Amino acid sequence: MSEEQEGQAQNSQPSQENSQNPQNPQWQQNPQGYQNFSQPNPNNPYPPYGGGFGGMQMALPNATIVLVLGILSIVACCCFYGLVGVVLGVVALILSKKDKENYLANMNYYTLSSYKNLNAGRVCAIIGLILSGLILLLCIVFAIFFGFNTLTDEETLKQFLRELQ
Amino acid sequence: MKGIPVVFFLLLVGGGSGVIHWLENHLLSCPFKKWTGVDCPGCGLQRSFVALLKGDVWMSFKLYPATLPILALCIFTILHLKFDFKNGAFLIKLMYIFATVIIVTSYIYKIYHHQLF
Repeated sequence: MSEEQEGQAQNSQPSQENSQNPQNPQWQQNPQGYQNFSQPNPNNPYPPYGGGFGGMQMALPNATIVLVLGILSIVACCCFYGLVGVVLGVVALILSKKDKENYLANMNYYTLSSYKNLNAGRVCAIIGLILSGLILLLCIVFAIFFGFNTLTDEETLKQFLRELQ
Repeated sequence: MKGIPVVFFLLLVGGGSGVIHWLENHLLSCPFKKWTGVDCPGCGLQRSFVALLKGDVWMSFKLYPATLPILALCIFTILHLKFDFKNGAFLIKLMYIFATVIIVTSYIYKIYHHQLF
């Protein structure tokens, strides 16, 4: 919902610029929106969003998703032997890597706060990944060393653990 | 979109005990615990959440100490995404690390005090 509103707000800005520069109809050529601005047109002296001072900047497209996934990765870290946490963490890391490159390539197009969000999400994803990876590793080590039978048989495992202590 | 929290709140207030009762009887069972009988680091989260819904903060803390930090983290994240606080991202990072430390510490405590099996 909020993304739609942002999109509408941004749509209005370049159309005004186009009316001022009729020889530069970049916006009309790219109706699918922001994805084009990851590769700015070198022939265009005026970046579509004003590029910094007073211009409209937009949030990184994946920042919110990365943050949410990173936080979910710790909530779900223990579901199904840590598998869910690992998957969420890896997805968040891949998405954030793409966006980080995007931001560093052209900083003026994206807001700083969304970059901070992205970094926070990245840190969360890394921590969640480590935690759930450790749990997964623990399960695998258990299964390999003590056999799958020990893991599935409650009594044997309890006895084993008592002997271990 | 705006109606969802309102409906949830009404459910909680109006038929509160019904919702809690339903939640209590429909907890997802942890496969690790089911197969091995040993707690995993996430065990207790749901019971703790139900205890919190009943208003028993101390019981919730005893069952799973990280519930309150995780809930606070989730709520703060939603607020931050909505209102974009100045140092929000940094605070989220801090709270996340805090929650992780609590989860790990409580699990080590459980192992140490033989509460696992």
